[in-house]
Amino acid sequence: MVQNLTPPAERSPVRRRSRLRPTLVAYALLLPTLALLGLFAYYPAFSGIFHSLFDWRPGFDSPFVGIDNYLALANDRLWWQSFRNLGLIFIFTVTVGWILPLLAAELLITLRGSRSPVIYRALLVAPMAFPAVVTVLLWQAIYHPNQGLLNEILGSIGLGDFARNWLGTPDSALLALLFIGFPFVAGLPFLVFLSVLQNIPTEIFEAAELDGAGRLRRLISIDLPLMASQLKLLIFLATISVLQYGFAAFLATGGGPDNATLVPVLRMLNVAFQGSDWGIAAAMATVLFTIALILSIVIVMSGPKNTKGADDER
Amino acid sequence: MSVDVRRRRRSRQYGVHIALTTIVFVGLFPYLFMVFTSLKSNEQYYASAIAPPWPLHPENYVVAWEQVRPYLVTSVAIAAATILATVVLATVSAYVFARYRFVGRQVLFALIALLMMIPGISSLIPLFVLMRDLRLLNSYVVLVIPHVVAGVVLGTLLIRTYIEQLPGELFEAAQMDGASGLRIFVQIMVPLVLPVIATVSIITVISVWNDFFWPFLTVTDDSMRIVSTGLTFFQGRNATNWGPLFAGYVIASLPLLLLFTFLSKYFLAGVQGGMPGGK
Repeated sequence: MVQNLTPPAERSPVRRRSRLRPTLVAYALLLPTLALLGLFAYYPAFSGIFHSLFDWRPGFDSPFVGIDNYLALANDRLWWQSFRNLGLIFIFTVTVGWILPLLAAELLITLRGSRSPVIYRALLVAPMAFPAVVTVLLWQAIYHPNQGLLNEILGSIGLGDFARNWLGTPDSALLALLFIGFPFVAGLPFLVFLSVLQNIPTEIFEAAELDGAGRLRRLISIDLPLMASQLKLLIFLATISVLQYGFAAFLATGGGPDNATLVPVLRMLNVAFQGSDWGIAAAMATVLFTIALILSIVIVMSGPKNTKGADDER
Repeated sequence: MSVDVRRRRRSRQYGVHIALTTIVFVGLFPYLFMVFTSLKSNEQYYASAIAPPWPLHPENYVVAWEQVRPYLVTSVAIAAATILATVVLATVSAYVFARYRFVGRQVLFALIALLMMIPGISSLIPLFVLMRDLRLLNSYVVLVIPHVVAGVVLGTLLIRTYIEQLPGELFEAAQMDGASGLRIFVQIMVPLVLPVIATVSIITVISVWNDFFWPFLTVTDDSMRIVSTGLTFFQGRNATNWGPLFAGYVIASLPLLLLFTFLSKYFLAGVQGGMPGGK
């Protein structure tokens, strides 16, 4: 960084004469990028916050309504329910969604030999190479009440009584939805866990083994503490992505049955595109943005060891 | 003692293999199921969803290809246009931020970096209204722009960091030789940052392939659907025609699968570098 602060022109004094020119050239070169981001990133972000205070009717005049939109969503039972579901989704993601990736990473570094770990890793992350839409549609077919694979398998092993309309029953819909992508190994958490474990010097493991520390003991007193700072990053990313959760629910359940899988994003889109309440939808977007911002600040500010704090937010 | 440990380890490795193979199998199972089903007739599928497909029905792929091809073409075109625009804008602005000293450099860079913090979904509604006001709905432009915005933000950050890690002498030597800024950019910088460009491009392809709400809301014309929205439409039309439906899923998966197979290094870098953003 320090070395970069010396201007590259310093060695050739001739070039010093035009201090102004590089500045103008820099602005000219940045102009297209700044214009693009200004119009299509900054403007919408501010427009959303601004219009959340109006009865926003795009194309017509939109009267100022103050905080009425926020009062409306505070009284929106479905909006609150969508957050309850979101909380469950978050808890599921950072517990069930991370245990198997952690287990797979632990298994992978236990493996000796140079060739097989590479092959296993490639196969473990391969599901990532399939389009998300395909994955959701496949699971939808697996859950199909009549011709679905899951019910057929249950029937064939004598558990036919458990067969049900997985995505169509309020009791099981959310859980069925969350199990899409099981065992969740193909994803960023696995890659992060794996790279942390791979970077632990083997001497540490050997020393632990000589001290008679079992595998579980090692996990708790060596592996997990070393992961703390990475866990913080993962929790941050999980928070952002869970807040934006909605695509799988939209495709597989549409938020139903009986709003059992409704999430804020779906509620916001419904309010905007079905209800034409653009002002309320803008207020919802602003709330989501604010939550993301606050949680980001909280997670970034909290010390690396203090990852529990982020869980407690829920 | 050490022999004892060694023996215990050796015997344990079978367990490790079995456990890993099980996880791999469970993870890939839906996709194996997809390939199996894509080769079945409806009667075979109704008879059993698990049974292996025999006799094979490859003609399902002909039916599916006819319907899925337009979506693939659109997606590839959108991804290509996005990559082109992203790479040009991001390399130029990263180069400017890394090599020029000018008033407001830190502030402008911070303004770009700050956009990483805004969750895409929270500007979905206002961006939609903006596009509607600009009369860009149902156009290719509307599909490209959000991906270019995301790509330029990430690309500028990644490429700038990368340039700053390169030895400054490279650029200074060229400058001493009297090379113009443009020549330094094209002949020295661009070749050096190609790995980052590859990563950013792969991130772009993945996000174009996986984006759903935006193309779903902004494009209603079937001829302009991309893979993600096209497949759901295709599913609606073939809901009871399992073979061709699953063959369509296989075809739609191939481009990403090819990238993953042949450029897995950049693919994984992309997954890890492009961390925030839509999934």
